Amino acid sequence: MLNAIKPKNRTIVMYLLIPVAMFVFTVFVPLVTALVYSFFEWKGGPQKTFNGLDNYIRLFNDATFWEAFGHNIYLVVACIIGQIGIAFVLVLMINSKLVKFKTIHRTFGFFPSTIAAVCIGLIWNMIYHNKYGIINWFLEAIGRKDLCQVWLNNTDLVMLLVTIPLIWQYIGYYMVIILSAIAGISTEIFESAEIDGANGFQKALYITLPLIKNTMLVCITLCIAGNMKAFDNIFVMTKGGPGTASMVMAMYGYQVSFNQSNMGYGSCISVGIFVLSLLVIGGSQALIKYITREKEA
Amino acid sequence: MKNSGAHNVKKGILGLFMNLVLWIFSLSCIFPIVWMVYSSLKEKRAFNANIIGLPTEPTLKNYTRILTNSDYHLGESMMNSVRTTVISITLIIVFSFIVGYILARIRFKLNRVLYVMFLMGMLIPIHSLLVPIYVVFQRCGISNQWYTLLLPYVSFGLPMGIFLVEGYVKTIPVSLEEAAAIDGSSFSHTLWTIIFPLCKPILVTVAIIQVFSCWNEFSFALVLIKDVSLQTVPLALTQFKGQFASDYPKQMAAMLITMAPIVVLYFAFSKQIIKGMVAGAVKG
Repeated sequence: MLNAIKPKNRTIVMYLLIPVAMFVFTVFVPLVTALVYSFFEWKGGPQKTFNGLDNYIRLFNDATFWEAFGHNIYLVVACIIGQIGIAFVLVLMINSKLVKFKTIHRTFGFFPSTIAAVCIGLIWNMIYHNKYGIINWFLEAIGRKDLCQVWLNNTDLVMLLVTIPLIWQYIGYYMVIILSAIAGISTEIFESAEIDGANGFQKALYITLPLIKNTMLVCITLCIAGNMKAFDNIFVMTKGGPGTASMVMAMYGYQVSFNQSNMGYGSCISVGIFVLSLLVIGGSQALIKYITREKEA
Repeated sequence: MKNSGAHNVKKGILGLFMNLVLWIFSLSCIFPIVWMVYSSLKEKRAFNANIIGLPTEPTLKNYTRILTNSDYHLGESMMNSVRTTVISITLIIVFSFIVGYILARIRFKLNRVLYVMFLMGMLIPIHSLLVPIYVVFQRCGISNQWYTLLLPYVSFGLPMGIFLVEGYVKTIPVSLEEAAAIDGSSFSHTLWTIIFPLCKPILVTVAIIQVFSCWNEFSFALVLIKDVSLQTVPLALTQFKGQFASDYPKQMAAMLITMAPIVVLYFAFSKQIIKGMVAGAVKG
């Protein structure tokens, strides 16, 4: 059917050559390279020795790596609840007839998501700073100087403290996505529900949520993928510290490869990150599909 | 009557509450920027004395010092970021358009293979490539060059661009191209003079999404760029953090300078940008 517009093979090849070659070179070649080097003992120098599965055995028993993985999962869960949950509640409020200045809320709310994660990290560093930070200033202002502390040095709190900026940055992003999904729902549905006496809460739970299910799933997927790769904020704010209290996988891979210049093990960690991220993303997809299918039945 | 009066009061309180919550949220989103803007006009001593107050003697010294002192490389970093972003966006648009169009319209042996390959590009956890890309680029001697960052930025931007274009092209009737072909228009001629203008809306969306991710990208710049003279803006900012550890107004001024293009762009085109980002997120 498309014969009329089908160009010569040579033309197709010419058009596709550069983008495809570039893509393969930057995505697939490194993947294969990582896989190969993950079987070597290699400190970045010219000398490499094949050591079979040693790196993988080490990775498997590496408490720091699994702690970092745990922190990634923590981020994922906290951000799904914090970002998407809060965003959904805010969306319900924005859609209310009682609320004015909707565009301003949307514009302001979305704004942080356009700023570099590095900047966000630096800004929150300032907010948390023990001497010149806003948190301690505020505590002092309300007369609770006893609560002031060097926030990011607190091992117990540090994960929460690096998660807050992440959540804050993307609430508006998810809010806007959910808003646009709800805008697609016909208002008649809500009107007839109102006539039937549904209150705001019921409308949200039984009408809005099921109708924007697909969008919510997209949001959750974005959230998982986004947090498995958390790096920039952590690098700027804590470098994984104190100790390993806020270590995430990408940060650990970076440290092993560049600070300890252990490229062999670093490659192995990269493969580990690759596999675990795919598993978490794929697993969550399957789980979501399973749960939602059960509901429909 | 009484009942509806109580109802109205309840409604009023609810409305007040919701408006209040939303304002707190919105203002919290721009507060850091506002705080930074007026704090950057203070001298270090004035800031340390009162971190939250408005400047009593506003001064632009922080800005002039940062911009005139070449040790900070801020101007250079801005140029690097602008160059990298502009070239990356251009290449992403051209390549996404070509590949997206061909995958949508032309049947050839490898069509499905390429389709799956780019789809995998979207699923691959990019951050696991951080170390491997460094190794490969180092090997090939192409790390730490002015063009180094173009490769990852374009390659990582391509899959989403391709799928957005592919989906969009499928909504254009084929008869258009068939008619052009019958009129003697060559493949390339049709591609660039008929299809390309039609795809403008989706290409703008692609560009919007990628401008932000290119300008803000940090991790690959961190591992691939070693020269201060080649660093992009986010990299320069992390250097400042060390240099001005205790000079917040200066840090803030530096950050604001680097954010300025994005902030201006955002507030000038916020409607289109939000729309584009949402389309990219949902369809991509």
